[in-house]
Amino acid sequence: MRIIAVLTMVTKPIVRRAGEERNRCVTGVEGLDNILNGGIPRGNTVLFTGSCGTGKTSISLEYLVHGAIDGENCLFISVTEASVKLLENIIPYEFFDDSLIKKGKLVFVDMPVIYNKLGLVTVEFTLEDVDTLVKAIGSIVKELDIKRLVIDSITSVCYRLKTEEKIREFILKLGKTLSELGCTTILVSEISPTAERYSLYGVEEAIADGIVLMGNLERRGDLLRTLQVVKMRGTQHSRAKYVLDLTPCGVLLVPLLKGGSVSSGGG
Amino acid sequence: MMTPTELADVLVEMPMPSAVSIGFTTESYFDAIRGVVDIFASKKNLETIYITSQMPSNSIIDVLTLLEIDMKRIHFIDCVSQVMGGAVARPDNVYFVESPTMLENIMLKVEYLMRKNKGKDSVVILDAINSLAIHNNTKILSEFFHILINSLRAKNAYTIIFSMEDFSSEELKGMMSLICENVISMSGKGEG
Repeated sequence: MRIIAVLTMVTKPIVRRAGEERNRCVTGVEGLDNILNGGIPRGNTVLFTGSCGTGKTSISLEYLVHGAIDGENCLFISVTEASVKLLENIIPYEFFDDSLIKKGKLVFVDMPVIYNKLGLVTVEFTLEDVDTLVKAIGSIVKELDIKRLVIDSITSVCYRLKTEEKIREFILKLGKTLSELGCTTILVSEISPTAERYSLYGVEEAIADGIVLMGNLERRGDLLRTLQVVKMRGTQHSRAKYVLDLTPCGVLLVPLLKGGSVSSGGG
Repeated sequence: MMTPTELADVLVEMPMPSAVSIGFTTESYFDAIRGVVDIFASKKNLETIYITSQMPSNSIIDVLTLLEIDMKRIHFIDCVSQVMGGAVARPDNVYFVESPTMLENIMLKVEYLMRKNKGKDSVVILDAINSLAIHNNTKILSEFFHILINSLRAKNAYTIIFSMEDFSSEELKGMMSLICENVISMSGKGEG
């Protein structure tokens, strides 16, 4: 049997047999797992991108809650909103259990706290600051043995990096560090409803292993929440657009009907 | 003219899952409701998901109350009230879809209720195809039914689609014949 050896920057080569399936991180969002043929390939860094109110934070939280229920350690790094406030506002999932937080299976950390501890107080980070931040996140992930991570949002972090070079450096290093730790990561990215790219700075989308585009679709005056997997390395997947609903049972997805006259409105 | 009991008897004989179109005239509307919601669902011990696109859920609830039908196991998906600017009261067993044009949201509410029913045997009733056809073209409606019925088949649930024979075009009749295994006409006029 033919052996494919993929050499990476890691000293140990990753060896996989031809046709062999990559280990999956089952998101627990049934519709999404079906789209992805079983889940996100483990270790991938995936951009969940979309305008406001499209359900990015909700689906990311659900991904973590399912992971925690399955016994994986999960971390949510909140950049824009205090975790306490975030927890108050999330849909009360029927499957959510407070004890996941008490047991430390589901951990919430506010990014400003990390910035403060690292002494990153300037408005614009330097390349050294980027290094420090990636190492700090890597250390937390390693120390807590985190298998699922969400950073909400990466756009707010990138705002302090300013240049494409630093953004590229940050996401490349972060992705590599987390992948080596076996952590499957969702980076939440905010774009404007009329944006014609998948990320604010255009760099994030090129580096991420996967892009899940979430949007609002206007059809004859009705506004539908949509989800579309644009790219996902390491798996075959549907590229069709789905309509989603945020419910106490979690995020539900159904195919977008194509029979009507459709005009796009922000993704 | 078929009685409610006769209708229920025909339905009970159908294997699970089945998709059935029931055509009736305006006069036999109550008989169709009684036959399906009361007798058939009770005999088969089914959870009922009742999609109302013909009239608001509170009107259907009034009808069911009048017919003395137990509503403990009936959940409503109301596609009419919000578009009319109604639905001030929000009973626990009623879920609202903003407009009958939001067909995907109807599917999502069905999916949600099926999950809430946790695998219990269910019947999904759509009342009625004629009113959905007012708001949607045949192409998108066919697609909607095709996906909904197959998704319900996969969940081993019955799908029952009400159709007002007096207001059904040949196109709608053709669609029902295509997507449903069984087409029943309560009036005996025949649907397809």
